[in-house]
Amino acid sequence: MSSNDTFDALSRAMARRASRRTAIKGGAALASAGVISGAALSSSSGVAAQDGANITFWFDTTGGAETAQCLIDNIVNPFNAQGGTQVEATMQPNGWTATQTALAGGAGPDIVVTPGPTYVMELAKAGQLLNLDEAAAAHGWDQTVLPWALDLGRVDGSIYSIPHEVESLVLWYNATLFDEHGWEVPNTMDELITLSQAVQDAGLIPFAHGNQEWRPANEWFVGEWLNQLAGPDLVYAALTGEAQWTDPAFVDAISKLNDMQQNGWFYGGLDRYYTGASADTASSLAYGDSAMKIEGTWFFSDAMMFFEESGQEWGWAPFPSTDGTDIFDLGIGSTYSINARTAAPEASAEFLNYWFSPEAQGIAVSVCGMGPAPVSIPEELLEGIDARQAAMINAVADASAAGNYGYTTWTFFPPKTITFLIENIERVWAGDLSVEDFLAEMQSVFDPELAAGDVPPLPARS
Amino acid sequence: MSAANPRLDLTVTHPKVRFWQTLFFRRKIVPWLFVLPILLINVSVVLGPAISSVYYSMTEWSGVGEARFIGLDNFRRLLLEDRSFRVAFRNNLLWLGIFLTLPMAMALTAASLLAPIKRGALFYRLTLFLPYVLPSVITASIWRNLMHPDRGVGAQLSEWGISGFDRAFLGDPKTVLPAIAFVDNWHWWGFLMVLFLASMQNISQDLYEAARLDGANRWQEFRDVTIPGIRPTLVFMVLMTAIWSFLTFDYVWILTQGGPAGSSEVLASLVVKNAIQRFEAGYASAIGLTMSVFVGIIISIFVLLRRRGWEI
Repeated sequence: MSSNDTFDALSRAMARRASRRTAIKGGAALASAGVISGAALSSSSGVAAQDGANITFWFDTTGGAETAQCLIDNIVNPFNAQGGTQVEATMQPNGWTATQTALAGGAGPDIVVTPGPTYVMELAKAGQLLNLDEAAAAHGWDQTVLPWALDLGRVDGSIYSIPHEVESLVLWYNATLFDEHGWEVPNTMDELITLSQAVQDAGLIPFAHGNQEWRPANEWFVGEWLNQLAGPDLVYAALTGEAQWTDPAFVDAISKLNDMQQNGWFYGGLDRYYTGASADTASSLAYGDSAMKIEGTWFFSDAMMFFEESGQEWGWAPFPSTDGTDIFDLGIGSTYSINARTAAPEASAEFLNYWFSPEAQGIAVSVCGMGPAPVSIPEELLEGIDARQAAMINAVADASAAGNYGYTTWTFFPPKTITFLIENIERVWAGDLSVEDFLAEMQSVFDPELAAGDVPPLPARS
Repeated sequence: MSAANPRLDLTVTHPKVRFWQTLFFRRKIVPWLFVLPILLINVSVVLGPAISSVYYSMTEWSGVGEARFIGLDNFRRLLLEDRSFRVAFRNNLLWLGIFLTLPMAMALTAASLLAPIKRGALFYRLTLFLPYVLPSVITASIWRNLMHPDRGVGAQLSEWGISGFDRAFLGDPKTVLPAIAFVDNWHWWGFLMVLFLASMQNISQDLYEAARLDGANRWQEFRDVTIPGIRPTLVFMVLMTAIWSFLTFDYVWILTQGGPAGSSEVLASLVVKNAIQRFEAGYASAIGLTMSVFVGIIISIFVLLRRRGWEI
């Protein structure tokens, strides 16, 4: 397919995106309205809240207001309709920056949303978040929220946040292309390397990757290679200070990542990788110019849209590990807390309890296309979603329950280490820094953060 | 003479002058009252944070919560340990070099060519000025697509048999900084040109006629009449360009965020990364203060040269 065809298809797909989502919302919202207004609301009223309290909640609209509006229409408005506590929902571009600034100035919304546990630690240490231990006990969150996720919200042993949007990185592939060439979905890293060479030999691009719009995409690959090749046990040991990032297993993992990048397997070369936008790479995968893509579970809606446009089929698989064991690196898209200065702590807790109810989360997933919160969502609440997405949600949930999980960088690594690896892996790829020096420098950045207690709480390995 | 000659009371009774009716109040106080509102705003949103950033530059501070005073340690780390700072500083110097030459030359050339044009002058000026009024996000998005190796201008030229331009200029460490500067310059030089053009039109035509009578060619007219005639504008824009070159941020951030491999990092992008991504607002303040020092040095050089009699 020519580049012009791809661009035209891309433009058409972008234009259709909104209408398709609207259609999904319309049907599913009607189907779920009864569920949310009945079960969720009754379950959320177990603890008395301040009568008629008003609380504020800022929805981040940086990536577009469509999802935020969907959540307001289908989750917040039914909550308000029951009377009692009223939630004043506000669309807020650059939501995190606005929240951070407002909190520093002694204001901010009652419900505080952050991009991850690292940010919660900073806010909690600064006394800007409410201790949620009492609320958790009153509402029984230890029974509804998965244990590893609840632990992730702890700072110095107390709960300050509840994680939202459980994510993982998986291998997406063009199933039509695989069928045409007779390729098998790889289970191990060796199989993946062999397949990548075969794809390149066929004149195609093995991976549709680019970081132009989101430079932190670099960390997806570093984290995935560390977890899947060196193993999550060793990553856990390094994050707890029991192992070093300079371990030979990590050196081997990053060396393999570097080899694949140098081979031009990531979108045809480094220069293409650095200038590849998300729509370019998604289109490349959907139209069969590229065979695979390593991206988060959030890619589902884009996969649906671009493959519908191309008329080809997509599939997903756990990212190949060294020995073929299915390991899902767990991540969190955002966290929810309560502002320490709120005038309505009980009403805020009541709303959080409602927000994290299986019913509300069922709506968030099936109607608004969000990643699920770490709560058990009954299958009947997920009816109507694509079977592949349902399988993905179940696989990640099963892995987290069984302990077959690794650690995404953006959730479990401290902030300076994250920034270091995002910035400096590019120096490795550019040949300015050896893999050994990269990991040694990473260790020197990580050590003070570990000593300062800046590593987010890690669920213990079973 | 009558003994009853009454003494005249010659005491003059002035009407009572209130304080706000005094000359002192009108001349010394009233102007300050007019300025006071904007002064208060300036102190609270500019001067206050500026002074506080001096303090925070000497602290270990995450951006929220308490700051811990650490003296000059941030500056020691900045100057002796931080490779990113050295790369960013070098890139700012390159940026300064590019913007003190290329857009200046383009703007001066275009202005001197357009100055004599009467018919359609407004059209040319508007056309060249238009990119300046576009938001940087729009300009960057346009050029990101125009420079795309698969669907940009280079790809089209390649189809016509002109090779060498279908490259990912923004993805190559060797070309990324000039490529971003090219985009920034595309929106910038038209503004410079309009300023120079306006200044050139204040130059008396008698001077050009005299030069021609003396046998001056076009280049000599430009060198000996035009440049001296627009010297105040030219010097002012050189000064402002030098200052803005140390503060440049938007195009770098939108197009590359300092990548690839730090090859387009500038001081302002480094401030953002440290303050927002690394939770090192204290260290970011130190970098910001260093930028202010560089700008202060540039201004000081200009002031010094003026005092020494340079006509700038």
